[in-house]
Amino acid sequence: MKQHLGRQSGVQNVEVSLIDGKVEITPKEDGQLDPFQLLKATFDSGVTAAEMDVTARGKVVKDSSGNLALQIGPNQSFALVPNELSRGLDSLVGSQTIITVRGQLYKKPPGKKQKVDASTPLKLLILTVEKKE
Amino acid sequence: MNKRVALLLLLECLIAPVSQAQIKHIEMRVEGMT
Repeated sequence: MKQHLGRQSGVQNVEVSLIDGKVEITPKEDGQLDPFQLLKATFDSGVTAAEMDVTARGKVVKDSSGNLALQIGPNQSFALVPNELSRGLDSLVGSQTIITVRGQLYKKPPGKKQKVDASTPLKLLILTVEKKE
Repeated sequence: MNKRVALLLLLECLIAPVSQAQIKHIEMRVEGMT
């Protein structure tokens, strides 16, 4: 799995801990990383991803449906799951403020081994807002 | 000349925040790993 993930575009380093089932992925400095492709690659290597947490920097924007999203690249953004923290970011829409957040991007639904559903876009549930610049 | 420098600075201010935006770290919890 380490090799499989390491081959994905934008990945600099992969650390796997067999004891606690944790995988840490360090992106390349200027690389565009696609978390969905990482989830797919994990599944393709015969392992089930139970949870994916990310730390990301980006701008708070509103998507075409008027929902809050974190834009982390010119063509990459994640819709935010509404919670207390995301509501607090509403005032940053349209500003040049860059925020760094830690959040949950994927959690496996309860049940058996399950393939990642490509039709469901990943949504970011903000757990902590680490920095506003 | 000054106008050109000012335009470059303005352009940098507009582009820089988006170019700094990125995924910094990813952590996954997996099941079924041997």
